[in-house]
Amino acid sequence: MKRALLALVLLASGAVACSADDGTGPIKVGSINGITGLFQSPEVPQAVKAVFEEVNAAGGIQGRKLELLSRDDAMNPQRSTEAARELIDSEGVVALVGSSSAVDCGLNRATYSQAGIVSIPAVGVDPACFTSPNIAPVNPGPFKLLTAMLYYASETLKHDKVCLAFTVLPGSGGGIDAAIKEWSDLTGKQLTVKDTSVGQGDPTPYLVRLKSAGCRAVIYNAQVGPWFAQAKTQGMEQVDFILMANAYTDANAALIPPGMRAQAGTEWQPYTDETLPGNDRWARIVTTHKIQKTAFSQGGVMAADVFVHVLKTIKGPITRESVTQAFKSMQPIRYPMVGTPWVFGPGDKHNPIEGSRFVRAENGKWVVLPEGFIVPGRS
Amino acid sequence: MLESVVAGLTSGGVYALLGLCVVLTHRLVSVVNFAMAAVGAMGAFVMVTLTDAGLSTWLALPAGVAAGGLLSGLLGAGLVRWFGDHGPAAKAAVTVAVFVGLMAVGLRLFGNLTSGARRFPEAFNAPAFTVGDVVVPQAVLVSLAFAVLITLAVTWLLRRTRVGLRLQAISERPGTAEVVGIPAPRLALAVWVAVGALSSLVIVMVAPRLGGDFSTLANLVTTALAVAMVGAFHSLWLTLAGGVLLGCLEGVAAALEPVQQYRGVLPFLVMVALLWWRSRHDVWEAA
Repeated sequence: MKRALLALVLLASGAVACSADDGTGPIKVGSINGITGLFQSPEVPQAVKAVFEEVNAAGGIQGRKLELLSRDDAMNPQRSTEAARELIDSEGVVALVGSSSAVDCGLNRATYSQAGIVSIPAVGVDPACFTSPNIAPVNPGPFKLLTAMLYYASETLKHDKVCLAFTVLPGSGGGIDAAIKEWSDLTGKQLTVKDTSVGQGDPTPYLVRLKSAGCRAVIYNAQVGPWFAQAKTQGMEQVDFILMANAYTDANAALIPPGMRAQAGTEWQPYTDETLPGNDRWARIVTTHKIQKTAFSQGGVMAADVFVHVLKTIKGPITRESVTQAFKSMQPIRYPMVGTPWVFGPGDKHNPIEGSRFVRAENGKWVVLPEGFIVPGRS
Repeated sequence: MLESVVAGLTSGGVYALLGLCVVLTHRLVSVVNFAMAAVGAMGAFVMVTLTDAGLSTWLALPAGVAAGGLLSGLLGAGLVRWFGDHGPAAKAAVTVAVFVGLMAVGLRLFGNLTSGARRFPEAFNAPAFTVGDVVVPQAVLVSLAFAVLITLAVTWLLRRTRVGLRLQAISERPGTAEVVGIPAPRLALAVWVAVGALSSLVIVMVAPRLGGDFSTLANLVTTALAVAMVGAFHSLWLTLAGGVLLGCLEGVAAALEPVQQYRGVLPFLVMVALLWWRSRHDVWEAA
């Protein structure tokens, strides 16, 4: 009975999907974004839409227009799973492009695999974004970024005592250990202090520990203001604090007190310099559409661009199956805004983008450092 | 280990200040105010928005404190007007609802952890003295002194002044107080305004040490409640000690590798331990 019911539901959802995609109407594309809630990135779907509008104005793909259906999950697990089901079953989207939700990958990875649909998130946040067969983000993500930052601290800045002070999200401890191991294997070096218990509250006890251990570089990912205010109080002006990409915002640059050495790893070409390769196109799009200039909006433009690029290679009707097939068999794309070529490919997990560029806080602004992308083992 | 305890102690004063705000509201108007830190954060963000717009700190600070007082006054007026006859549980529930509402509005207005972090003015940042590797800034002594000052002032107000006597009457027997002619609603409203203003000032003081974005600051109410619980929501001196104790515990926890990971749950553990201790006492009394 249960099986019959399931078959009926599957049939019905298939029927809806087919009726939504008759090969002549708009090509429906979904995305799940944090618009409200604790993780907000409203600029991402706006950037994807802007690229789609540009493509549509030039005649669309195979004469069909691209239509983005963005759903806000407010970082709420139930809303996120409902959004995925609705987009796939009711709307019949052919792919998910430019998602930027803190919970989407972990919750919906199985749904995407079962439905045979691919997701190209603009911002992969949780570990599942980089370890799923049907998800391939356009950012390096926290683990590849961490390896690049450690490599930068020990090989580019040539610091002997590299330390880590991290706040760890549930489930990402293993990924962090693997990233550190990758760095150790490449350089033969070990961390002087590894502290993954940094959280909210007064940072002084952690800072004192790092200071006592003589750390020369500290890789850090928690809140910026109190950390630097208290590090200055503790006289840690000679330490290079290297922040994860989530700290690379205009608001945070203004939080670094004068005299402190703060750098941040960036996932794409630093957005604060529009003359960098690839940034000119992004800047034109976001400026024309009055979209907030952030690193996340770069991810939105890139996710949309690689999607359109692959879509154009499809001969024959554009359906969910043909789109998935095209991504799984595609050739790598060199995209100037990132350190390595982007490719989806047939594997069971995808983390195609590696490496990081670095910016330094100076007088309340981020200044791009001259080294290009630091890709561990290659630069 | 001594260094870790000293490092933890540096936050004792600011924790005590947070706890004192909760205890004050409870002592004076019999409400456990879950919205205390959120109201304070609103005031603090009004201030920092004005300083970002170019206003001097000395003008922005009174404006922020006034905004916190006004908001708290509105909350108090609502409680007095519509929930005056309800028990403490209902009033606490109202403040929880207000906390949730303020949190949503605050996130919308002032942004989240990465987009909305602000730099609060850091006064008294020069080193006062050094213990081993730990530099203790003057701000630590200032916050401890401020906490002691509040404790002394409120103790004096309650014990030695007519207003204090009336406030205690309202807090303990609001109905009777009104019958004997004490203007209960007006006094309660004044208390709410004063506590809101004080909370804003306290949040401005703790921000350079504990957080610069709205949600982090509004969530400091958990720390405040844990500290207030040490004083059983009544004793100001024990609350002061509770702040220092929580700071010490955090310092020790940061130094001990096996418990390091659980440093964040310390306020919760303090609450549970104290609740257990008190309920154990109740059982003995009942027996």
